[in-house]
Amino acid sequence: MEDTELGNKSLSRREFIAGTAAVLAGGSFLAACGGSTSTGGSTSTPGSTSTSYTFVLIQGVKGDPFYVTMQKGAQAMADKLGVKLLVDGPAQFSATLQVPIVDAYIAKKVDVMIIAACDKQAMIAPLQRANDAGIKVISVDTFIGNGDYVNGPVTFPLSYVGSDNVQGGMIAGQALIKAIGNKGGIYIENVTPGISTTDQRQQGCVQAIQATNGAVKLVGSNYDNDSAATASQQVSALLSSNKGSQVNGIFGTNLFSAEGAAQAVKNANKQGQIKIANFDAPQGAITDLNNGAVDLVIAQKPADMGSTAVQFGVYALTGKTSSIQKRVATGYVVIDKTNVNDPASQAAIYKS
Amino acid sequence: MKASNAAIPDSKQSQAGKIAFRPLDIVSKGWSWLFLFVLIIFFSLTGQGFLNIFNFQNIGADMSLVLIMALGQTFVILSGGIDLSVGFVMGMASVAAALVMSRLGDSAPLFVVVLAGLAVGLGVGVIPGLVNGLIIARLRVPPFIVTLGMYGIARGAGFILSGGQPVSIQTNGIGQIGNGYLLYYLPDGRFSFFHLPSNLQGVRPSQIIQLLPFPLILLVVVVLICAWLLSQTRFGRHTYAVGGSEEASRRAGIPVVRHTILIYVLSALTASLAGVLYTVRFSNGAADVGDPLLLTSIAAVIIGGASLLGGEGTIFGTVIGALIISIIQNGLIFLGINPFWQFIAVGAVIILAVLVDQAKKRLV
Repeated sequence: MEDTELGNKSLSRREFIAGTAAVLAGGSFLAACGGSTSTGGSTSTPGSTSTSYTFVLIQGVKGDPFYVTMQKGAQAMADKLGVKLLVDGPAQFSATLQVPIVDAYIAKKVDVMIIAACDKQAMIAPLQRANDAGIKVISVDTFIGNGDYVNGPVTFPLSYVGSDNVQGGMIAGQALIKAIGNKGGIYIENVTPGISTTDQRQQGCVQAIQATNGAVKLVGSNYDNDSAATASQQVSALLSSNKGSQVNGIFGTNLFSAEGAAQAVKNANKQGQIKIANFDAPQGAITDLNNGAVDLVIAQKPADMGSTAVQFGVYALTGKTSSIQKRVATGYVVIDKTNVNDPASQAAIYKS
Repeated sequence: MKASNAAIPDSKQSQAGKIAFRPLDIVSKGWSWLFLFVLIIFFSLTGQGFLNIFNFQNIGADMSLVLIMALGQTFVILSGGIDLSVGFVMGMASVAAALVMSRLGDSAPLFVVVLAGLAVGLGVGVIPGLVNGLIIARLRVPPFIVTLGMYGIARGAGFILSGGQPVSIQTNGIGQIGNGYLLYYLPDGRFSFFHLPSNLQGVRPSQIIQLLPFPLILLVVVVLICAWLLSQTRFGRHTYAVGGSEEASRRAGIPVVRHTILIYVLSALTASLAGVLYTVRFSNGAADVGDPLLLTSIAAVIIGGASLLGGEGTIFGTVIGALIISIIQNGLIFLGINPFWQFIAVGAVIILAVLVDQAKKRLV
């Protein structure tokens, strides 16, 4: 009786057992055919022959000009050295989304995995899996563990190639403090807690503020989850509040944060009154610099990160491990209105 | 609808029509299985290394978070509702579990620490589910709105609980449980269960064969429990009934209010379980770990054949839906084409699933 009403919607007992059996049968089928084609137990090095290595660059997030510039640098070096470079990345800067990508490339048996890990703790286990599978792991931009691959808790990656973000934050902080006349209040617009790079930039900026011995104060900070729209909302709210008059300078720890802050300052008609330091230099930041919305742009060198990582990967595969440094601190270019048209500044802009 | 059809005696024509349509009926019922099968064949032929037990194990283990969340979502959608808060409930549970596990640290045996984390994670996660269920059932507010509000509340609560930062666990053993396998097999024939064989002299990590990751085992157990719950118990039948028609169910004597509350509690429980699983896998808990998975969990349920209006769908359908999404994402990587096609592919499959569902209704 029950089956006539619900029969074609729910499962009968027979269908349930059949379904379970099918799932188990399907699983064993896959195990059987997979087992015979797998090379998981072989003694050969993963992937390719000695003349065609495959590298993968796993970005922190797709569609970000910083990572696009990194890809360009990596591709140029890959072409020069004759290795194949694949590039991929999660849709959002999130470890939950980055892990399946790492696993797929492990299964694809690439030779070298160059990765900007989305979380310094969560990505340890998946990258350990890659390392155990024989894949060389190199960190770019962000790190896992504490970034010290010699004496730290995590030592299996070959190298950490990225900016010294504490130093970068300090440089940005110092430049911003100077721009606001060495007194007043600074607000920090940050991205998401847990990202090694942006947390360190905030740390560096706070150190620079503390070094003024009270002349400059930290008005506050907030997280915008890598969304310029959210950053704009948060800064607008801040400027309208009673804390708004205390703000003389804003430090945006990545490009979306600074973009949002600049938009909010523009909307409040405080361009030029409130100085903005923008970490990261996509074309939009330079445009903002040129029309006065932003006062300082701190450019990292993502192309260098990409090309150095590829170079190190090739060293590792060809036995030149002594040429690999465990830590390469790529530098900065500080761009402001006075030097924006210099060749060095122009070369540092992230081209997407 | 069905009642009125039964009242009209079957004419010869409609009987013939029924028999002629039966093969089509089988295809339309099993279309998602068929599609999955076709996808696997396609990716195996076009991407070297795809058809491989290790790749499938990884797909299974990586899919476990979304699918566990989607199982609870299946019950909710079947009953005619929706739960938008599951992503941040997962985050809350992962934070709670991480806090407990990191506080206990080494002071208790490993399985006690994990059990304590699990209990606290589930306990914390159940609260939003209870609140959702009570407001939806007692105060008669639409589920979309209530769970949308809970999305924000759980998000804020998760961040406040964690102090704004991800919570890390330093104990080594936790990661081994989350990433461990049931069976390890060495090239020289030795094998061991639950942990790596002790003497690994001369064995390179890439030579060790690892079978049955723990997250996958947990996933299979939860799937079977939910399938049993939905198809073999009164609770399951009531879920379909309420989804089909809430008014008719109420008049038939089904305790709709209590049932609705239980459904949202179940959804929050599965989301919390996913959160604790995340914490054990990554030794880390944060409020936003489940956010990227919310829409995928709903998509998996829909692709699996459930109707957003309620009353239709199965657990195995949701499993197939989640598998289709994961295999598309994984297979496209092997194919080596532009990763943005993955979004288009998954979106297209969702629309396809709804179209097949509608065509099914018109033909049968």
